[in-house]
Amino acid sequence: MIHELGSVQPSDGTIVHRVLAGDVEQYRVLVERYRAEFGRYAIAAVGDRDAAQDAMQEAFIRAFDALATCREPDRFGAWFFRILTNQCRNVVARRRDTVPVEDLDPPGADRTDLGLERGELGAALEAALARLTPEQREAFVMKHVDGRSYEEMAELLGVGVDALKMRVHRARDAMRSMMGALR
Amino acid sequence: MRDRDVFGADAHRYLDGEPFGELSGAEFAAADRLVAEAREYAQRLGNLDPALDEAVMAAVRDRVPSRQHGRLDWLLAPRTVRVRPVWAAVLAVAAALVVWFAPRASVPAGQGAPSVRTATDTVFVRFELAAPQARSVSVAGSFNGWRVGALTMSRTAGGVWSATVALPVGEHRYEFVVDSTQWVPDPTAHAQVDDGFGGRNSVIVVGPKGLVRS
Repeated sequence: MIHELGSVQPSDGTIVHRVLAGDVEQYRVLVERYRAEFGRYAIAAVGDRDAAQDAMQEAFIRAFDALATCREPDRFGAWFFRILTNQCRNVVARRRDTVPVEDLDPPGADRTDLGLERGELGAALEAALARLTPEQREAFVMKHVDGRSYEEMAELLGVGVDALKMRVHRARDAMRSMMGALR
Repeated sequence: MRDRDVFGADAHRYLDGEPFGELSGAEFAAADRLVAEAREYAQRLGNLDPALDEAVMAAVRDRVPSRQHGRLDWLLAPRTVRVRPVWAAVLAVAAALVVWFAPRASVPAGQGAPSVRTATDTVFVRFELAAPQARSVSVAGSFNGWRVGALTMSRTAGGVWSATVALPVGEHRYEFVVDSTQWVPDPTAHAQVDDGFGGRNSVIVVGPKGLVRS
């Protein structure tokens, strides 16, 4: 029999069951847990802090509405991450639909979305990230910005390790080429 | 893309933390620079504003998680209930898991809820679970909105927990909740069904005239 100890946090599965049983306030535990876990990914994926905030909020609301379809509550994090990934892709796609391509993060332009000054370490990388495909960008961010292992990425994305390595390799090559051109 | 603008296979292995062959100084420098920029970028990103937590909670507070929607829809939907005549024998074999009583004998007149049903469509059912090590046990099911603690059980001799509740005629699904955290299907229920998210719900069928199948 499992008992909760003082320093032990309840599992995702326990919290999901509590929320579905009517204790909605328990959902805050999951929100705090995965806002911290995936927040940096969301900012990097959409390239804008406010848009990332909106994408994350919408993802949590969608996850709440669909909570009964989470077939493995103990793996809520991976399930939620896929919802978040879709939200981030939607944000990027909407932006591409409404903003002329030539206005999307032009090389050499000042980037103030994230409070970075042009010329600072990391700024060239940020500009290059915006030009990767969504799949390459999320793979690169998870590997080199979030520092996750390929196995962890496979768990979160539901994609094989070999395929993820290929995405990361292609992303690195594209980044190297673009960043070289920016310098 | 020019060859010098991409990493070779050994550089990728180096960046993946795998054994690698010979790398030129330029390749090392390019790989290390990419990693350093990614780290710097990560530090500058920080994280999202914790105010997001309350914004999400404010949005979901008035909503009902879909499991409850589904259960209520299911409960309110018209359905045909089939009751096997051998229900009593099943109950006996199941160590008297569920016992029914005549409702009029247990419910004083005038004390029912506004939706009180007639004697023929409400049956008192007793749930039992042997759990000697448990500190608390309750029954959560389609009949009480799956709320933990809505129907708490009392401990009796031998570590058997029991609770009695009036159930309307129809099919109901339920689970025991041990120590407020552990969801346990009824080991003696005649049917268990997928709960839609990896677990199993027990099924009880309450028929007219007090016939119960569990």
